[in-house]
Amino acid sequence: MGSLFRSEKVTLCQLFLQSEAAYNCVSELGEIGLVQFRDLNPDVNAFQRKFVNEVRRCDEMERKLRFLEKEIKKDEIPMLDTGDNPEAPQPREMIDLEATFEKLENEMKEVNANAEALKRNFLELTELKHILRKTQVFFEEEERNVVADAQLALHADEAPVLASQPLQLGFVAGVILRERIPAFERMLWRACRGNVFLRRAEIEIPLEDPVTGDQVNKSVFIIFFQGEQLKQRVKKICEGFRATLYPCPETQAERREMAIGVMTRIEDLNTVLSQTQDHRHRVLVAAAKNIKVWFNKVRKIKAIYHTLNMFNLDVTQKCLISECWCPVDDLDRIQAALRRGTERSGSSVPSILNRMTTKQEPPTYNKTNKLTGAFQGLIDAYGVATYREVNPAPFAIITFPFLFAIMFGDTGHGIIMFLFGLWMVVKEKSLGASKSDNEIWNTFFGGRYLIMMMGLFSIYTGLIYNDIFSKSMNIFGSSWNADIAYPGDMGNNVEKLMLAKTYRLNPNSTNWSKEPYPFGMDPAWQFATNKLMYVNSFKMKMSVTIGVMQMMFGVILSLFNHVHFGNYLNIYAEFIPQIIFLAFIFLYLVVIIIAKWIYFDPITMNTNCAPALLIGFINMFMFNYPNKDASPTPPCSSLTWYDGQQVIQTLLVVCALICAPWMLLVKPIILRQRSRQVKTAISVNSGDIRNQISENVEVVHHDETVLIVDEEVEKFEFGDIFIHQVIHTIEYCLGCISNTASYLRLWALSLAHAELSEVLWNMVFRIGLGIDGWLGAIMVPVVFAPWACLTIAILLLMEGLSAFLHTLRLHWVEFDNKFYSGSGYLFTPFSFDDIMDVPSGLGDD
Amino acid sequence: MNSVNFNINFGYLEGLCRGFKGGILKQTDYINLVQCEILEDLKLHLQSTDYGSFLANEPSPLSVSVIDDKLKEKLVIEFQHMRIHSVEPLSTFLDFITYGYMIDNIILLITGTLHQRDIRELIPKCHPLGSFEQMEAIHIANTPAELYNAVLVDTPLAPYFMDCISEQDLDEMNIEIIRNTLYKAYLEDFYKFCSTIGGSTTEVMCEALAFEADRRAFIITINSFGTELTKDDRAKLYPRCGKLHPDGLAKLAQADEYEQVKVVADYYGEYKPLFDGAGTGPGEKTLEDRFFEKEVKIMMSAFMQQFHFGVFYAYLKLKEQECRNIIWISECVAQKHKAKIDSYIPIF
Repeated sequence: MGSLFRSEKVTLCQLFLQSEAAYNCVSELGEIGLVQFRDLNPDVNAFQRKFVNEVRRCDEMERKLRFLEKEIKKDEIPMLDTGDNPEAPQPREMIDLEATFEKLENEMKEVNANAEALKRNFLELTELKHILRKTQVFFEEEERNVVADAQLALHADEAPVLASQPLQLGFVAGVILRERIPAFERMLWRACRGNVFLRRAEIEIPLEDPVTGDQVNKSVFIIFFQGEQLKQRVKKICEGFRATLYPCPETQAERREMAIGVMTRIEDLNTVLSQTQDHRHRVLVAAAKNIKVWFNKVRKIKAIYHTLNMFNLDVTQKCLISECWCPVDDLDRIQAALRRGTERSGSSVPSILNRMTTKQEPPTYNKTNKLTGAFQGLIDAYGVATYREVNPAPFAIITFPFLFAIMFGDTGHGIIMFLFGLWMVVKEKSLGASKSDNEIWNTFFGGRYLIMMMGLFSIYTGLIYNDIFSKSMNIFGSSWNADIAYPGDMGNNVEKLMLAKTYRLNPNSTNWSKEPYPFGMDPAWQFATNKLMYVNSFKMKMSVTIGVMQMMFGVILSLFNHVHFGNYLNIYAEFIPQIIFLAFIFLYLVVIIIAKWIYFDPITMNTNCAPALLIGFINMFMFNYPNKDASPTPPCSSLTWYDGQQVIQTLLVVCALICAPWMLLVKPIILRQRSRQVKTAISVNSGDIRNQISENVEVVHHDETVLIVDEEVEKFEFGDIFIHQVIHTIEYCLGCISNTASYLRLWALSLAHAELSEVLWNMVFRIGLGIDGWLGAIMVPVVFAPWACLTIAILLLMEGLSAFLHTLRLHWVEFDNKFYSGSGYLFTPFSFDDIMDVPSGLGDD
Repeated sequence: MNSVNFNINFGYLEGLCRGFKGGILKQTDYINLVQCEILEDLKLHLQSTDYGSFLANEPSPLSVSVIDDKLKEKLVIEFQHMRIHSVEPLSTFLDFITYGYMIDNIILLITGTLHQRDIRELIPKCHPLGSFEQMEAIHIANTPAELYNAVLVDTPLAPYFMDCISEQDLDEMNIEIIRNTLYKAYLEDFYKFCSTIGGSTTEVMCEALAFEADRRAFIITINSFGTELTKDDRAKLYPRCGKLHPDGLAKLAQADEYEQVKVVADYYGEYKPLFDGAGTGPGEKTLEDRFFEKEVKIMMSAFMQQFHFGVFYAYLKLKEQECRNIIWISECVAQKHKAKIDSYIPIF
């Protein structure tokens, strides 16, 4: 099998790069994205590394770009995303970029400052305009009233004599945020002891705040008071509430004159303001064209320096040393990239890539494409495969949609799902380009191939179940005859059966033509009263059969793992007893299921005496075989039905039971013996081994040497291993039983799905079909809408999701636990692609 | 409030708060931070912690005040988030926490205006957690009575202000007395509120507030030496919800010098070690730092229990201490004065 069967071979390499060529080489490696660098200075702080200054400069550039981007977004200028991927610029180009950004930022800041000043000016003038307009109303309409009211209000408690002569009242006018008014009024009242009079009016149009650019609602107010001291106090309060005060002339003529002046100034300002905005717009449009490319460039530079920071400096300072994981198959491409990098930098000394030996576990790297990626994602979500262990993903490509389809078997629903998946696959490019933030959509889109496959398989299982929107198709002609006694001989058999309304299909009766329906289920079952009994029995047996097959396959895969890792002890201490246990009990069950199907056909045998599998199976474990001659006579279904059944079954059970202690004891005992032998060997020539080790790992980094010695001397704990084996054995033996039962979910969900869609048809759509005449013509489209909506929402989405989750569980738990340890870690290469795109959600349904 | 129903209303926020607490800098972070040469290094390191890119949009060169603002901003955003999502009685509890900041802000503004500073210059210096609507108009008041009638009467601090309404002009001494009287009333009220909540909240919060009250009592006493404050007036400023109440406070009221305060502390197991070895000499930690250390310990222990509000208070206090630490370190870095850089107070 191809590369997907096991992860790629990955090796640890040491890379010697000339200082001047290092940047270009890393840049080329980033483009191909096949190398995972290891941090060689984990103890060094981020800010004490070699290229920290460059990283900082990149940060600064990014900040400027973010600033520009923010401004561009504020003006809603579309940013051009050409999708082209510029090469990482040379370090010397960084200065140019920095200069460009610096210039742009400064220009932008200047324009902003100007615009802000102008806007502030504009705001003030507009506020003044409103004040003049509103106060005009105050003064005009209530000339007498306001002033008189104010006087009255202010001097109500004073001597009426004083009130009779008009006092000179001062006033201030201003503008305040509308939401601050209540507190403002209260404060004024308290602080001035009620000796002021306030009128206010709302400004209907929201004004723009010059700093934030938000729209704010404001109100005009005018305060009357008496005396200089009160004036100071009022002003202070206004200041405290951030109200802006404006000079307001006292006479009407002056006010009008001022208003005219303000209007002309506003108009002048408008022209200037629009010019400033135009300028700003031009600058931003120019920047918007390049900003994505700039972002990419800066991110690339930053990523390269981050990587360079993980390198070690050679003693001579002439070259950088790095360690990295590389896939063995791609070493040539990596070499080529290094050569390209060296050439680009104009360095004469080539970069050197050395393979190293290490005891460390390499990362797991599976090369995937668009189709396999989704399935690999499902597997990795459970646990990343241990390095070079059998990867369940390639099998999941078929088994996953198939098990899903067994639970989702309906051709109609399958077609809808398939078409949805197909649409996403065909439109892949345009849909993928319009990067959506919708998480749900992204998950669906990530699993588009999965959805398409699941739809395709559902069509197939739907045909087997003969279910299309819960209805059956009569393609080949049913093999059942209606009761001969039924009067009238018209049309084909199914029509006659339908007319009979209800009936019970019995293969022993003469109604059956003795010819099986060629493909799938006979449509005649659709109307039979014993349909459920028949379908349940069929689906239940099918679930067990498929389940046992998949588990057997999983156990066999574990053989490949044992052979590959040279773990021959595991083969005869674990694999063989496991396969015997599973085969002798559960495979035997499958065999008798199939035998029963084939052997007991109604033509030749009396089906009443077909063996009851459940009871037979229980009896097999109890070693209990009813005697034919005993009284009372046992039912013939519980009797043995082939020669030597008793002997064979007894043998199977005994063998299977022997497997349990076999699994439990053999491995720990052998391991114990081995460790004793090793111990004596070590004590004899421990010195030699140490020497040998240090020779072997000359090139290896120093801390690994320590590691290797540690591993070698690791103590053998018999107790640990034994307990581990006990757990493992119990888990396997009980697991076989519970997992087989677990596969019954295939039947249960399939039943639920079929019943639900039938209920939906009968309760909703049939109402429309049941009405005759023109009313029926109207009713059909009317009831179609809810039926279609419910079909999509409940049957496709909800049921689909539930079937998906159950399939996922069957793969993760029932299948994977037979062979998959999943204790590896992912290969995360240094790649520019990952930096450029925010990874889209891949994997789930 | 009991543990059974706690999670219905407050489980989310408690979880959130504990999550925030997980982001508090560890000892290893501090070890890295003190190695910084310039503030840019500090920024780079903080990027790898829970602070993330909180300084990413600040143009270099950085200044300590920018860092301070951003630290505060982050804390305030987190606190406000919790406040907005809270329901009674947690919302009242969280409001209570902010009252302390309001008192500080009022005092800051009054002192500022007393020294003829412009109010607009002072507003940015106020702690954003303690800002309230009428705050900026505070400079119209010349006497405590005016302050109460015009400004504070609408704020939640009004009841605490009852004891210091007078027609005297505001001066330095007066302001200090107002601050401490307000604080005393606030602490006692908060203490009472926490006692009514019951359960672990009472247990944890009362200990924290008792410590706060006692710390204030000690500090007031020590700071009052050599001022015009009379012993009677001083006694009125002691918050009466701490462990010192009543005997310790009575003795403190009689104290004339530092040694006598120390004698009082000797009677209390919690405070004795704080005074032992505290000093201003080289290698010694100041009494203030000792109290901070003790506070951090109390706050950490608040996280040992579940289903109570103390975690919110403790989180805020710990985070404040962390901000103080970062600011201290950045000041030391900025001024190239590394001799004392290690006198931050580690939290974990």
